[in-house]
Amino acid sequence: MAKKEIVVALAGNPNSGKTTVFNNLTGARQHVGNWPGVTVEKKEGICSFQEYNLRVVDLPGVYSLTAYSPDEVVARNFIIDEKPDVVVDIVDASNLERNLYLAVQIMEMEVPLIIALNMMDEVESRKYKINAKTLSQEIGTSVVQMVANRNQGTDALLDEIVRVAKKKIEAGGVRIEYGREVENEISKLEEAISKSPLASRYSPKWLAVKLLEGDEEVIKKFQEVINV
Amino acid sequence: MSSADALKVREESLARLKSIYRDEAETVIADARYGFISGLLKDVLKKPSLERVSLSDKIDNVVINRWLGIPLFLALMYGVFQFVFTLSAPFMDWIDQFFGWIGGYAAGVSPEWFGSLLTDGIVGGLGSVLIFIPPIFLLFIAIAILEDCGYMARAAFVMDRLMHKIGLHGRSFIPMILGFGCNIPAIMACRTIENPRDRLTTILVNPFMSCGARLPIFVLLAGAFFTANQGLVVFSMYVIGIIAAIIMALIFRKSILKGPSGHFVMELPPYRMPTVMGVLVHMWERGQLFLKKAGTLIFTAVIVIWFLSSMPWGTDYASAGSWIGQIGRVIAPVFSPAGFGQWQAGVSIIFGFLAKEVVVGTMGTIFAVEEGLLGGVISSQLGWTPLVAFSFMVFCLLYMPCVAALGAIRGETKSWKWTGFAAVYTTVIAWIVATLIFQIGSLFI
Repeated sequence: MAKKEIVVALAGNPNSGKTTVFNNLTGARQHVGNWPGVTVEKKEGICSFQEYNLRVVDLPGVYSLTAYSPDEVVARNFIIDEKPDVVVDIVDASNLERNLYLAVQIMEMEVPLIIALNMMDEVESRKYKINAKTLSQEIGTSVVQMVANRNQGTDALLDEIVRVAKKKIEAGGVRIEYGREVENEISKLEEAISKSPLASRYSPKWLAVKLLEGDEEVIKKFQEVINV
Repeated sequence: MSSADALKVREESLARLKSIYRDEAETVIADARYGFISGLLKDVLKKPSLERVSLSDKIDNVVINRWLGIPLFLALMYGVFQFVFTLSAPFMDWIDQFFGWIGGYAAGVSPEWFGSLLTDGIVGGLGSVLIFIPPIFLLFIAIAILEDCGYMARAAFVMDRLMHKIGLHGRSFIPMILGFGCNIPAIMACRTIENPRDRLTTILVNPFMSCGARLPIFVLLAGAFFTANQGLVVFSMYVIGIIAAIIMALIFRKSILKGPSGHFVMELPPYRMPTVMGVLVHMWERGQLFLKKAGTLIFTAVIVIWFLSSMPWGTDYASAGSWIGQIGRVIAPVFSPAGFGQWQAGVSIIFGFLAKEVVVGTMGTIFAVEEGLLGGVISSQLGWTPLVAFSFMVFCLLYMPCVAALGAIRGETKSWKWTGFAAVYTTVIAWIVATLIFQIGSLFI
C-alpha cells in the first residue's frame, strides 16, 4: 500500500546546521540536482516515518527572502509556488536574533512552519536560557529543540512534522505590526490585489508587503499578468 | 487590469510612506521585523546577567555609530597623513642628500651626454620618484595597521550604509579601500561582488580612489605650494577621490547601470592587536610593487623622456624646441582652461599614463634639478600659483587610470568597450573638475 507523501522544505541561514539536519532525516536516500534555470544545487531526500513518506527538500541557505540573489529567489519560490506541507526553519539558537529574521519572513508567507532550535548545547554552554514555550506562543508556530550534530531531537522533529502536516495548521496566527502608516498602505494594496488573478495563488497580504519592499520578482509577476 | 491598479496604488503608497518616514519603505519594513524580533527576544531569551559587553562591542558602539562613524573615519585618515608627513620628512632629506651627492659626482663624468643622462635623467627623474619611498611605505604601514586591527572592516561597514543609500552593493567599499594601496588588486577584488551591475559600477569608479602612486605628485606639490597645510591638502585629495567615486557610482546606478542591488550581511571581525610581522608583511606586499615599478617601468620611462628632451641633436636640453617640447606644445592648450597650459605639464600628464609616479619623474627629468628643489623650480619656472597646483593635483588624481589599471579593467570586464569608457570618462571628469576649480578659484583669488 502506497504511503502518504508529506513534502517538507528545510530552510535556514548558512551555518545553521541545516545540512546536518537534512542528513539526519534522510540518511543515504538523497538525490542532488539543480534548481530549474539556475546553477543552485537542489538536494532532495526521502524519509519513511510511521505511515508517511517524507519528501525532504533542502532549500539554499539564506539570511533573507528578498529577490536579490538566486539562492533567495529559489528558496522562496519553492515555498510560495510548490506550497510544501511543512516548512522547517533550522535556527542557530546561539545566534537567535540574526536567525529569526529569516523565520519572520517565512511567517509572513503564512505557511505551516516549524522552528527547529538547533545547537541547543551551545546555548547551554553559554548559560543562555531560551524559553521555547513562550517563543512558540508568541510567534504562533511549533518549536522543536535539537542538537543536530549529535542527532538529538530528530525524532521530535519528525513527530512535529507529521502533526503539523496532518492538522494542516493554518499559520499566520501572529502578525507583524509594520507601523500604522505602513499598515494603512498594506490594506489599500491588499484591496487592489484581491481583484487580481494573483490573489488566488498567493497571499494578498504577502504580495502587498513585497510590493512595498520593491521586490522585483513580485513586480514582474504583476506586470506579466497585465500583459496577458 | 486590476493588476495595473495594484501597481498604481503601490506608487502612491511608496510616495506617501517616503514623505512620512523620509526613508525607503523597504527599510521601514525591515526595521519593523527587527523590532518584532528584539521585542520577542526580551521575552524569550535570558542571557546571564554577568555576561559583560565585550570590548569589541564597546568600541563598535562608538566606531560604527550612525553619526560618529564617518567623521571618525575622516579624522583617522587625516591623522594618518599627518603621521606619514611628520615621520617621513627626515628620511626624505637623507635620500635627497644622497642623490645630491651622486649628482655632484656624476656631473663630471664624460662624455658629456652620458653625464647628462646620469644627472638629468637618472638623478633628476628617477631620484625624484625614489625620494617618495618613505611616505609611500609609511602610508602602507598605516593602512596595514588599520586593516590588521580590524578597523578597515568597520570603515567599510560605515561607508556601506552610505553606499546603500546611493544604491551600491554592500561589498563595494572593500575593494574601494584596497584602492588606497593600488587600484589593480582593488579592481580584481571586485570579483566577490555577485551582481554584475554592482561589480561593473565598482570597477568603473575604483580608479578615483587615490593609489600610492599618486602620493608623490601630491606630496611634491603640497610641499612646494602649501607648506603650512601639506597634510590637509593631501588629505583633501583622498576625500575628493572618495566623493568623485560616490557621485559617479550614483550616476551610473541611475543611468547606464540601472537595476536592483544585492543585499549582504556584513560581518565584523573582532578587534585584534596587529603584529609587527603582519604589518611589515602587508606593507611589503604593496611597497615592493612600487620598487619594482621604479626599477623597470619608471626607469625606462625616464630614459625615454631624457632622450626626447635631448633630441634633436644640438638643441638646449628640455627646451621648447626639443622633441619633448614639441609634443608638449601640441597638447598644452587643452589644459589652459584648467590653469596648467605649460608644455611641461602636458607632457607629464601624457607620460603619467604609464604610471602615475612618472608625472613627477617627467618633471624631474625635464627640469633636471635635485628633487629637493623640484617644487621650487615648478613654481618659479612655470609660474604656478597654489591654485594652479591644486587644480593640477586634482587632475592627476582623477584622470585616466594608468595602463596597468586599464589592463586590470579589461581583464575583469572582458570588454574593450568598458575599458575605453573608463579611460575616457575619468579624463573628461578630471578636466571638468580641474577647470571648474581653476576658473571658480580665479574669481576669488
